[in-house]
Amino acid sequence: MKKKRKKKNYVYFILPGFLMYTVFIIIPIIYVIYLSVFDWSGLGAKVFVGLDNFVTLFTDNKIGPEFWHALLNNLKYMLCIWLIVTPLQFIMAYLFYIKIPAFKYIKFMVFMPYVISSTIVSFFATMIFNPNIGILNDVLKKLGLSQGSWFGDSHWAFAIFIIIVIWQSSGSGMMIFYSNLLDIPKEIMEASSIDGCNEMQRFKYILLPLSLPSCVSIIIMSTIWALSVFDLPYILVGSTGGVHSVLDFVNLVFYRYTFGSVLNGQTNYGFGAAISTLMLVVIVIVTSVQNKILSKFEYEN
Amino acid sequence: MNRQKGKSGQIYSLKSKVVRGIVSTILILYTGITLFVLGFTVLNSFKQKSELVTNLFGWPNKFVLDSYKTVFADGSIFRNFGNSLLLTLCGTALCVFLASMVAYGISRYDFKGKGALTAYFLIGMMVPMQVTVLPLFLIFQKLHLLNTLTGMILLYGSGISLSMFIFSRFFKTISKALEESAKLDGANDFTIYTRIILPVCKPVIFTVSLIVSVGYWNDFYLPMILLSKKAKYTLTLVIFNYLGQFVKRMDVSFAAVVITLVPVILLYCFFSNQMVEGITGGAVKG
Repeated sequence: MKKKRKKKNYVYFILPGFLMYTVFIIIPIIYVIYLSVFDWSGLGAKVFVGLDNFVTLFTDNKIGPEFWHALLNNLKYMLCIWLIVTPLQFIMAYLFYIKIPAFKYIKFMVFMPYVISSTIVSFFATMIFNPNIGILNDVLKKLGLSQGSWFGDSHWAFAIFIIIVIWQSSGSGMMIFYSNLLDIPKEIMEASSIDGCNEMQRFKYILLPLSLPSCVSIIIMSTIWALSVFDLPYILVGSTGGVHSVLDFVNLVFYRYTFGSVLNGQTNYGFGAAISTLMLVVIVIVTSVQNKILSKFEYEN
Repeated sequence: MNRQKGKSGQIYSLKSKVVRGIVSTILILYTGITLFVLGFTVLNSFKQKSELVTNLFGWPNKFVLDSYKTVFADGSIFRNFGNSLLLTLCGTALCVFLASMVAYGISRYDFKGKGALTAYFLIGMMVPMQVTVLPLFLIFQKLHLLNTLTGMILLYGSGISLSMFIFSRFFKTISKALEESAKLDGANDFTIYTRIILPVCKPVIFTVSLIVSVGYWNDFYLPMILLSKKAKYTLTLVIFNYLGQFVKRMDVSFAAVVITLVPVILLYCFFSNQMVEGITGGAVKG
């Protein structure tokens, strides 16, 4: 009876979203894989080249080193997020959890850059780090210290980039950690204090393990961001990744070869598609590893 | 009750008040960076152009509206603002509409392949736009959507994964009793959805709309690739262009940045809790 009444009405609810989502989100994914095996400038006929685009990416005399360099930068960025940003996010969430003084204000301010566009973040970064007009050199000059060229200096550019990323995007992960900590039942905490747990033990044996699942999802999200980073380096130092290509990332390479006509003076969509496909493969691997870890957690619980 | 609260507050305290004070002071200093960049951007937007060269970081000698006048005199900023607003509002509305319907259909009905369909809709959360931008560009070209706001709105509206995920979670928490009784009164499924479900969802709709719209308002990558005509520029693209010739156009840059920032900062000040809810609601937690 119940089933009969419901009939297939769900189709009407799902269909509009399904169609739009398929056209604009799913088909492009399939399309990019398809394009990756062709040599095609966007005009004229596509020439099937098999896996040549991928081989070129890794072995070509000119593009090979460029691509490897960019990929290594992405990995370096990813490691910085794993080892610096994520722990910072957790520590801050913990500090809010134990209610340090003014924690509400601090939380409010640390999360704020989340609503600020990367173009504006780059604008702020210019105000601070620009060697000619930036305030950093201004202050150093007044203090009688030597001034730097920051983004123009291959030793500094990457570090400054990471600092900006911390300022811009540590808020969301921090909030996820924090709300996860708040979800931990008070009884567990109270029981631990009755059992004579000290601060450090509680942190190590209760809060940290119980935060691991959210940690995994934060790391996965930030890993995907790290692999697809584009806006900040592009706006800050341009499409070639700045001095010595210190801030060159895979997506900038993709942009140059797809929309920027660098390869033999003409665009090659097949080549760009190959870069996108590679990124896709890496992301699929990363997320499936995540799902495995997450389901293991659920199993243990 | 009160005693208990005080007690649990003590359990979580760092050993000494001094340490807590120091940590907190360091973090407050850190937040000073944000206050500083926001504050002096606003101040600079009220300086005279000549003063920006000589006194970039000081207090304005005189507050003037010159920068804003220059920006508005051009007239195009109104259009850019309009473009951003239109994309954000329509994209968000479409996204929320589609996502809530899909989430409702999936979480309130039983049918074969439900799990697979859910997984299908979550793919979008894992694949960044940077991967699919080239095919999107080609599809837009073919459908004559390049350089049109319509195309961008359709695209924004289709990115339903995260919103759908949050809606599904919410639908699981509301009881089916209301729907059942409405059904007995002879209401059809769509009426139930619009008259009973949507009103109950208002807070979630608001939360989802907030985070989705902030993302669209701030988006740089997709407009840059898909809207290359000046008339279709969004505010982020305008600021990007000003940045390219920064020293020459410093005055208008500050004004444009303030114009772009004000809506989102205001939203944040009023609704930061809801925004945080949206972010954390979309994450897998323990």
